[in-house]
Amino acid sequence: MLRAYRALLVAGFQNASQYRLTLFLYVFFSVLRPIIFLAAWVAVANARGGSVGSFSVTDFATYYIALTVVLHLALSWNAYEFEFQVRQGRLSPLLLRPLHPIHYAVVENLVWKMFTIVALVPVLILTGITFGVHLTAQPWHYVLFVPSLLLGAALRFLFGWIIAASAFWITRVSSVSTFFDRIQFIFAGQIAPISLLPGALQTVAYAMPFAYMFGVPTDILRGATTFEQTLVFLFVQAAWVVAAYLALQAVWRAGLRAYSAVGA
Amino acid sequence: MRYLRLLGIFFRTELQFELAYRVNFIAELFGLVMIVATSLAAVLVLFAYSPTMNGWTLPQMLVLLGVFYIVQGIGELAFTPSFERFMEHVRLGTLDFILIKPASSQFLVSLRHFRISAIGQVVLGLGVVGAGMVQIADTISAVDVISFVVALSCGLVLIYTLLLVLSTLAFWFVRVENLLVVYQAFLDAARFPVDIYPGWLRVTLSTVIPIGVAVTVPAQAVAGKLELAGLGTIVAVAIAAWLFAAWFWRFGLRSYTGASA
Repeated sequence: MLRAYRALLVAGFQNASQYRLTLFLYVFFSVLRPIIFLAAWVAVANARGGSVGSFSVTDFATYYIALTVVLHLALSWNAYEFEFQVRQGRLSPLLLRPLHPIHYAVVENLVWKMFTIVALVPVLILTGITFGVHLTAQPWHYVLFVPSLLLGAALRFLFGWIIAASAFWITRVSSVSTFFDRIQFIFAGQIAPISLLPGALQTVAYAMPFAYMFGVPTDILRGATTFEQTLVFLFVQAAWVVAAYLALQAVWRAGLRAYSAVGA
Repeated sequence: MRYLRLLGIFFRTELQFELAYRVNFIAELFGLVMIVATSLAAVLVLFAYSPTMNGWTLPQMLVLLGVFYIVQGIGELAFTPSFERFMEHVRLGTLDFILIKPASSQFLVSLRHFRISAIGQVVLGLGVVGAGMVQIADTISAVDVISFVVALSCGLVLIYTLLLVLSTLAFWFVRVENLLVVYQAFLDAARFPVDIYPGWLRVTLSTVIPIGVAVTVPAQAVAGKLELAGLGTIVAVAIAAWLFAAWFWRFGLRSYTGASA
């Protein structure tokens, strides 16, 4: 298994290095998005005399820079490609290989992240200089951030695969994907730090998996959680990962039975 | 006149094409509603904390968000589908077939294909603009409405010329799909007024990539933030941009050699 992963990683790197400029541009501009909402919150904070709730302007900057890092490392895209593979019948040869298709996606995401982190750094520095950053995290925050990020990434990855697996039944996954992307847009901490979502929305956010993908690791990274809270969050994240894993297994098995390759 | 008729024919064929996939069409409309609704929710969350944002009130912001979806929608409807195909044509060398047709090459390249479902986005955008305008109806004069329409038209011209210039670069660089990603990334920033952004981003959105002004200026007209000089500027800039893009297109066309020539 390890050997398979090493071979896939090498191949992935060789493949990705063909498209260096694409990757660079893509990352540079995909990180513009958090800056958009950062600027909006700064405008709101300024209208209120410098702060919103417990957030000052520098807190917002810290939050959105931390979020950019988390989004970059924990986000994964599979649904579109998987839909394509199922629709075109290209999944069939992949199923015959000894390795489960999910492993290819894992490697693809790993390579992508290692490649693009280079482009991310200058953008974050630029944002940091523009808005000013304020780090309050303790050393243990950084230590616990690592498992939280991994759990968040795993949850997002598994969730993405559950949605992608719906391609076995419906051939247009992109609308399902859009639906969940937009829910995530509201509840994962992108439009606002979760603690600033008004009343009921905040409760909903913590009851759904999306906050545990990005918002929770972000709050840990910027040092906004107490030690007890952090442990609770990690526990809930782990529970969601287990639930998503079991759900994916069930969906995948049922899906394979429903799958009839195009042209078969 | 002849061009309008051609446009009608292109539009009809695209409509027939799209209607062949009805469920897909409905799914896309559903996605659009979802996107606009969540964006509205995001704006409402921001305004839950403050009645104004950099001097913009909620109704004014709704107008701006509506304009954003109109501009984005028309871009998706009429501009980007054609430009995407155009880049493909350059790469494959099939642009030759377009160049020999007896009509303006710029017209054929930029307004040949349509994404019909984006009409839904334009309609939703109009709805959001309407919802904003109704709340501030007593402050809007007839002059404001006229300058809104003028500014919006200029904004669309700016978007069109930007895309035309970006696409023309394909003559030299061949693989420029990424430049459309640039357009999309900056377009997303236009959902808020340009004046909230820090210097470098504000300047970029107002000059090199004028997506910010294309959306903000029409909304300013309704919000009573637009002086006559500002309106004059955007009209002048739109005309200049159009002339430049048309010249740049012809200049780029001379560099085109065909894929196998």
